[in-house]
Amino acid sequence: MDVILAAVGDAFTWQALLAIVIGTWAGIIIGGLPGLGSVVGLTIFLPFTFGMDVITSMALLIGVYCGSVYGGSITAILINTPGTPQSAATTFDGYPMTQQGRVDEALGWATFASFFGGVLSCVLLIFCAPQLAKFAVNFGSIEVFALVCLAMLCIVGISRGSLLKGLVCGMMGFFFSTVGSDPITGADRFTFGTYALSSGLDLIPVVVGAFALSEVFVRFSARDEEATTIPEARLRFPSLREIGRRLIELVRGSFIGSFVGALPGTGAAAAAFISYAAAQKLSPRRANLGKGEPDGIIASESSNNAVTGSAFIPTLALGIPGDVVTAMMMGAMVIHGITPGVRLMADQAQTVYALFVVLIIVNVAMLILSKPSIGLFRYLFKLPLGFVMGGIVMFSFIGAVSVRGNPLDLVVAALTGILAYVLRRGGYPLAPLIIGMVLGPALESSLRRGLLISRGDFLSFFTHSGIATTLFVLIGLFLVWTVAAGILDWRAKIADRRQPAESGARSATTQEGRP
Amino acid sequence: MFASLIHPRVLTALALLVAGAGLSITAWQGPESAMLVPRIVLTIWCVMALAILVGELIRHAPRQPKASPRVARSPLPLLMAAVLVAAVATASLGFLIPALPLVALTLWLFRIRRPLPLVLGTILIGGGLWFLFHHVLMIRLPALLTSGLV
Repeated sequence: MDVILAAVGDAFTWQALLAIVIGTWAGIIIGGLPGLGSVVGLTIFLPFTFGMDVITSMALLIGVYCGSVYGGSITAILINTPGTPQSAATTFDGYPMTQQGRVDEALGWATFASFFGGVLSCVLLIFCAPQLAKFAVNFGSIEVFALVCLAMLCIVGISRGSLLKGLVCGMMGFFFSTVGSDPITGADRFTFGTYALSSGLDLIPVVVGAFALSEVFVRFSARDEEATTIPEARLRFPSLREIGRRLIELVRGSFIGSFVGALPGTGAAAAAFISYAAAQKLSPRRANLGKGEPDGIIASESSNNAVTGSAFIPTLALGIPGDVVTAMMMGAMVIHGITPGVRLMADQAQTVYALFVVLIIVNVAMLILSKPSIGLFRYLFKLPLGFVMGGIVMFSFIGAVSVRGNPLDLVVAALTGILAYVLRRGGYPLAPLIIGMVLGPALESSLRRGLLISRGDFLSFFTHSGIATTLFVLIGLFLVWTVAAGILDWRAKIADRRQPAESGARSATTQEGRP
Repeated sequence: MFASLIHPRVLTALALLVAGAGLSITAWQGPESAMLVPRIVLTIWCVMALAILVGELIRHAPRQPKASPRVARSPLPLLMAAVLVAAVATASLGFLIPALPLVALTLWLFRIRRPLPLVLGTILIGGGLWFLFHHVLMIRLPALLTSGLV
């Protein structure tokens, strides 16, 4: 109890509260600008945190993260363009409501559902993370190896694009993590005689290049697109009676988001679509979904914001980030001296509880700041794209170089940006690249320690303990499921190709038969 | 067959395969203990890249790809080269000197071409952010002078 009270005290400092207000407001605006999203927002704000203490810096970043997830819904409702992929499902009912002149109601429900989902997932985080951390203490090197393998496979399998392309990107990220001195023998790996590479590649320049700089390149190639006209944005919160009528939808969406967010590799976009699909089956007003029904907005927004809290469960308790955003947050935590993983709850419980409190305050701040932020959007859309992109280039450079002060990190960011642009054009998912880089060191050290424990016998990994065996069985099942799904998908594609060919041949025969 | 070979997706897969194979040679020449994991990783990389390459070739890429003519005509490679040159130049010229022309070029390429917004944007975004981080927030960025002033 003393720890929790001390954590509340840590979170309620004026610096942390100011960071929450600035971060949340900026996050709402960045999330609302189509194409930017959470990762670019975090890239912009990361350099500001270097001079701050742990709680203030994490308050700023958590504010940007949660604010950007909510901000994406504003443009989804106003102009049918989701600011972030997480808000794509919000367009289904949000934009029809705008077309019907119910924009205030749509934005009100999106705001309240985001707040509700965010707070509920924080409560779950407070209860679940310590329990998971207690269980995670049983994990040794071999169990960690199996767990990281399973997480990596899940992330690759679920990420957008083909499985093979996801795997290549995952291996590329994993390879990036091996550059520099070997952690066990100290031998140089892939440094090619460059001394600056001995310390390895840092995560932040790679993330900056892969997401922020490549975004500038992608936006540059699509800069001729016309600006959209924006309807006047207003917000009206739902009354208590209206909330009571739709409470089941709010709770269901929040629980789906909390559950999906805790699984590695899924993320807020998947949660929003799963929740929307559930609403299509279970909502009493499901007949109206897609035509401007608030239940659709509630399903999408409560679940995608619930992910923001629950995504921290595997990140904090196991050191396994669920997606790129949590991988970046994990990188920021490491910079500030917090090492997420099985020992975190035992060693730094006060800091962890302070982060939980910060998450709750961020959601309250989001509710308060939503009204003034929404009014700004009419003016923001008039801002020339060049100034936004120039700012992103500059923030990317500052973010990449200020982590270690090493100018080589800028070259790494620039090269990664070009590589990421080419990969995006080729349909390669970038999330596995970053997750591979984050999980790479844990996978390598656990494998090599495990081999030392088992005296080089890899087969004994499978029977080392009940936890390890269960995890390896899950890996096997996941592989079988992926291969089977791939074969079924391939057969369906072949059948689709044959069908038009056969119907074409049939119609040709019929035509030939006619006089 | 030749037309499908020069399709960007095929070239990307080929480049990944060549890069993976080149790095594998380095990995197999290094010490066994330190290179154990990189060898496994690069082997999987090469196998996957080969499978993707075969898949892209089998898919019979269209003869006139949609994206490539637009990319070829656009000044995107200029922006990419400018970003890379500015990144390389930072080590010797400090942060501010390469950043200012890079920001100016970015604004110009994104169609901000009237002199006043271009100059003001460059000074505020390039110089202003540098000043904020380097001198106000005291986050030391690479400098030209040893005193750290510029």
